[in-house]
Amino acid sequence: MRPIRVLVANRPRLMREVVLEAISDQADIEMVGELQDESNLAEEVKRTQPDVLIVALDQQDRLPGACYAILEEEPRLRIIGIAPDRESTLFYWASLCIHANPIETSIEGVLNTIRSRAHQLAG
Amino acid sequence: MDAGTGVYILSENRLVREALSRILKKRPDFWVLHGSDLSAEVRDEIVRTGVHVLLLDSMRLYFAVEEALKLLRAEAPAIRIVLIGMDDDEQAFLQIVRRGAIGYLLKEATAAEVVAGVRAVMNGEAVCPPRLCRVLFEHLAQEACQLPSGRTRTQLGLTRREQQLLPLIARGLTNKEIATRLNVSEQTIKNHLHRMLHKLGADNRLGVVDLCRDQGLIL
Repeated sequence: MRPIRVLVANRPRLMREVVLEAISDQADIEMVGELQDESNLAEEVKRTQPDVLIVALDQQDRLPGACYAILEEEPRLRIIGIAPDRESTLFYWASLCIHANPIETSIEGVLNTIRSRAHQLAG
Repeated sequence: MDAGTGVYILSENRLVREALSRILKKRPDFWVLHGSDLSAEVRDEIVRTGVHVLLLDSMRLYFAVEEALKLLRAEAPAIRIVLIGMDDDEQAFLQIVRRGAIGYLLKEATAAEVVAGVRAVMNGEAVCPPRLCRVLFEHLAQEACQLPSGRTRTQLGLTRREQQLLPLIARGLTNKEIATRLNVSEQTIKNHLHRMLHKLGADNRLGVVDLCRDQGLIL
């Protein structure tokens, strides 16, 4: 099975490093890119073709605006949104409309969610 | 606990706690504990294991646990408090400095800078971005003319030597560290502190600091 392609675009920098640490050294996960913010997100998603995108949620637990358009254009993509300063992580996917589910904010929670994408890809 | 530097990561975000803990543990001279509150059990654990540095990742959390932090500092006066993931906000920075934290690292700091910050405070330094360091200098210069006179200090009955100890106690230095800095014996510092507690009617060194801060004797 091919590795799951992950693009990380978390703010702020320390949080991005935290996320990178959480998904590092996993044989079945391939980091395809790292962005400092969401300014080139759409272009980078097109270029790197990730299976999973990880971004920062804002104070109201909303995804960065660009993500909704990306999900509509790339319905196969899954997005994990993490709130840096509190215990809040959401998993987004598009199927007719955009759905969101809370997931466990932990290394295991994030890895399990990424891997659930692998099962969908295999299926 | 083990030799090396003990770090406690206090964060509401479990992912931050776990991943940052992993990053720090890659350094062989660090051991790490983490949690999301400062309950009495957690404080006991911090004191019992001899944690040296408390990393805290939000102002909101700082204020939520402020009372518990006071208790912790009374039990472990040498503990160094470092805030990470902070905004570049002058007022927040000064507020935290006044409360005795000795590290303030911004959101854009790297994990390597957090590690360097922990090492720096262990070496007796304080850490903050250079721009905020300038803010601190300017603030102190501004306030210098507003500091109470020597007369006010004398009214509290503190000797010159006791006044010298105040900022060092406020920074969380141990008796031993103060003694080394002032080139006197640890017992001498204990004696000074004992007299200060008596004069000020404080229960512990944290009480001395709070009282003198209220009186404007220390910033």
